[in-house]
Amino acid sequence: MSIEFKRNLAVFREVVSVEEAEGLLEWLQKKPTAKVDLGACVHLHPANLQVLMAAKPVIQTWPTDAQLRVWLESALVAH
Amino acid sequence: MNPLLEQFLSEARDFLQGIGEKLMQLENAPDDAALMGELFRLVHTLKGNSGLFDFPEMTRVLHAGEDLMDAVRNGRVAYSRLLADCLLDAMDFVGMLCNEIEANGAMGVTHAGTSVRLVESLRQLMERDAAGPRHADTIETAEAETASGATEHPSASFRADLPLAVIPEAARMDAYRHAGAGHLLHWIAYTPSEQCFYQGEDPFFLARQTPELRWGCIEARDPWPPLAEMDAYCCLLDFCLLTAAPRAELEEHYRYVMDQVEIAPLPRLALVLPQGDSNGGPVYDDFATDARHLLATGDLVGLARNAGTMLELSNPDLWIASALRWLRLMLEIEPENRAALAVLVESLSRLAAPDWASIQIGTTGSAEHSEITRPSQPDDGQFVATASESRPMEPINQGQAMANGPASAEADALAAIVATQREILALTDDPAWLPGRIKAAAAALAGCLRVSVAPDALPGLETGLDAATTLALADNSGAALLAWLDGQFSPSLDLSDAEGAAADGSVNAEETTATMARESTTQAPLAPTPPPEGDGEIKFGRRAEDAIAGPKSLKVDQAKIDRLMNLIGEMVVAKNALPYLAGRAEAVFGVRELSRDIKGHYAVINRIAEEMQDAIMQVRMMPVSFVFQRFPRLVRDISRKLGKEVNLVLEGEETEADKNIIEALGDPLMHIVRNSLDHGIELPEVRRVAGKPAAGTLTLRAAQESDRVVIVIQDDGKGIDPDAIKRKAYAKGLIDEATLERIGDQEAVNLVFAAGFSTAEQVSDLSGRGVGMDVVRTAVDKVNGTLALTSERGRGTHLSLSLPLSMAVTNVMIVVSDGQRFGIPMDSVVETVRVPRAAIRTIKHSLATVLRGRIVPLKSINGLLGLDVAPKANADDELAVLVVRLGNEAVGLLVDDFRETLDIILKPMTGVLAGIPAYAGSALMGDGSVLMVLNVKEIL
Repeated sequence: MSIEFKRNLAVFREVVSVEEAEGLLEWLQKKPTAKVDLGACVHLHPANLQVLMAAKPVIQTWPTDAQLRVWLESALVAH
Repeated sequence: MNPLLEQFLSEARDFLQGIGEKLMQLENAPDDAALMGELFRLVHTLKGNSGLFDFPEMTRVLHAGEDLMDAVRNGRVAYSRLLADCLLDAMDFVGMLCNEIEANGAMGVTHAGTSVRLVESLRQLMERDAAGPRHADTIETAEAETASGATEHPSASFRADLPLAVIPEAARMDAYRHAGAGHLLHWIAYTPSEQCFYQGEDPFFLARQTPELRWGCIEARDPWPPLAEMDAYCCLLDFCLLTAAPRAELEEHYRYVMDQVEIAPLPRLALVLPQGDSNGGPVYDDFATDARHLLATGDLVGLARNAGTMLELSNPDLWIASALRWLRLMLEIEPENRAALAVLVESLSRLAAPDWASIQIGTTGSAEHSEITRPSQPDDGQFVATASESRPMEPINQGQAMANGPASAEADALAAIVATQREILALTDDPAWLPGRIKAAAAALAGCLRVSVAPDALPGLETGLDAATTLALADNSGAALLAWLDGQFSPSLDLSDAEGAAADGSVNAEETTATMARESTTQAPLAPTPPPEGDGEIKFGRRAEDAIAGPKSLKVDQAKIDRLMNLIGEMVVAKNALPYLAGRAEAVFGVRELSRDIKGHYAVINRIAEEMQDAIMQVRMMPVSFVFQRFPRLVRDISRKLGKEVNLVLEGEETEADKNIIEALGDPLMHIVRNSLDHGIELPEVRRVAGKPAAGTLTLRAAQESDRVVIVIQDDGKGIDPDAIKRKAYAKGLIDEATLERIGDQEAVNLVFAAGFSTAEQVSDLSGRGVGMDVVRTAVDKVNGTLALTSERGRGTHLSLSLPLSMAVTNVMIVVSDGQRFGIPMDSVVETVRVPRAAIRTIKHSLATVLRGRIVPLKSINGLLGLDVAPKANADDELAVLVVRLGNEAVGLLVDDFRETLDIILKPMTGVLAGIPAYAGSALMGDGSVLMVLNVKEIL
């Protein structure tokens, strides 16, 4: 599992594959105040990304991968 | 190229041919539903087949074709000539791809754009037809559209609706800088299909990997639904990207999703969009007035200085600060583009976005000039791009070829640019901005190189240019750069340009007019060029009138080959009649010369007939891989089921043999392999205990040995336990007690082939193998093959099948007994000897003799066939003995005399004779008589 679900925090690690999206969606449906830690994430499948975009959880840590961060900011930070 | 692909290509040709034919037939009978159905089926199958391979372009086009045919079939779209044209175009395209794949083993990557265009034209046809009946004029427009491929390059030089303002200023400045250096910018809108996640795509990854990516963003297609109703696997994301990669590279990158991607060229000026807080002030008005004045007098250095000062005074968040930053950047990158600078200064004074459209559309004044010196200028940039992408790249150091080449529009433009640089560099004045001027010239030349030189030659030329520039800057004169330029371009080039350039011409109005004049002449031939190009592209140069590359393989009905086989058989028989004729000519008519002539002629015909026979055999040859290929899967499945680990090794798959032999091999091999897995190879833990690797090895090896194919099946399992076999055979009554005591291990092992040895319940608890082995023997016997089984306990089993390469022709030896001729297959003949009567002993009732120290039992063929005549001896009282092989033993057959050996076509016994096992078959002899071929195994 490249997403570790803590009490109120989902920690993304390395490459988050398409299979994780279902679980992430369910988890976020249950936890409307959840936070997300993307620090160690290097790539995530867009299925996960759109779940994050729709659920709008608080991004606690942005990815350290600068390129990915720019992409995710374009998607997750409201213009 | 793998066999699957080869087969696909040969089938694809058939399909394409069929599709073409059906389309032609439909033109005469547009309402023939059956024909239409057949056509649909062809397109459908071809599409399905193409999906097996990595040819997205082909599959995409065929898919569109299939959809269209489906619509026609269901009556939603009417069949028309235009439709047939479109489909034929599409099929030509597919055929072209096939040719390319065949020639190169892979498909070029440049077809993505074309395939999308074809798909679009096919889809358009579907939509328009569905909407209503067509008129002649719409047909024309459609044809024009398909012909010109107008969709590729939208005519608008840039789309005003692009959300460029979203891009951060830094990214835009970076891209702009890049574009200033001669790169073309492209805007990509990537809209993945909603179902793409199910197809294993990762659009985000694809977007991230875009070559030369400058900036990108992800957007939601629609507002998100409530989280509870969301489907994570329905892709609702859009990607927007800004890249500096050439279009061809982008098309390659997105080749799988070409239909979901829109690539538009982006002029770099469109990026110049000041942003920020729009607070102004009188100070800025003053600046604008000054700037206009400075610009008009050409004092760019002053303008840059002023802008710098203003920038320091302004809050960086202000709109005006952003505009000033852009102004400074433009002064740095393209100081000579006065019109653009003027537009920006104008926009500064109005505090409104610069109106780039005014210089995009109005091709006036100095904008033209800058267009020449800068190949990537907005409107001109597109032409250069179009031209350089659709034509083979011309190395710049073939300057003359460039200028004289058939497509001289771009070459003219380049020549003009180069000429201008040459003039600039040749200036002898020494202004303060000389270093800047040299740098500008170098940058312009570098831009020229990038758009015109083949990529592989580029690094070398750029290094040369860099070196020349450094040199020029060091001694503060353009001479070094000029020398480089002369080295690369023939000086004769600029003779033609010299008329407009005044000798002392600085970058001034005079020169501008000259270049303008040239531009207007070059512009004219430029405009009409693209359509014919597009036309050529869409027809793919492959139409009915072109020479058609013939297919290399034929599919022939087996019956036809069999007929050929029979004919050559008759030919051989007829040929064999010639020696008799020669004999008769000499013996009966006494014409010795004629006899010799006939014999000479016979030799010629014999050679041709043999070659012909060989050629026909070759046609029937098939590689052993035909039966081998099913084993990897079989072994995998069975070993999984049994919980064993097995490595299957296949060798010599390319060995060829007659089709009948190969086909006859399938079942026996299957039995053997199954047995080997079931009874031979042990479970991993047992193997480990026995000190063997956990995974067993099963080897299937085929090889050709003279005129036979030898197939070896070898495993490293536990082997066969001869004692168990013996006991089982004894219990089953196959051997008596004496044999049980007598036979050796090797013989015992071979008992598994005995008929009746194997029935499932008796053998399944046996430690050795045995299931269906008599079936194997029978099958191998049927094709005249032999079997040899050796086994070592604990070490494995080795089974070798030896089969004839071909069954069509049998080599027999003719013997005479009691005045009759009989044929004996040469396979079983060991030797022919004459044994003195004295050397023959009688042991009880059997005859025997000693040959080279071995006792050979003798049987009289007359006795075996129930002829009550004693064998005849020759004058020296010697008896003719034909020694034949029977299993592992040799047996001597007493005959009257030996005759020649012959190649015959053996016809099996049919009708009432089929029940006589003593004969393997009959053959027609050259003199018209019938030869009976004995089945040695049966008569002994």
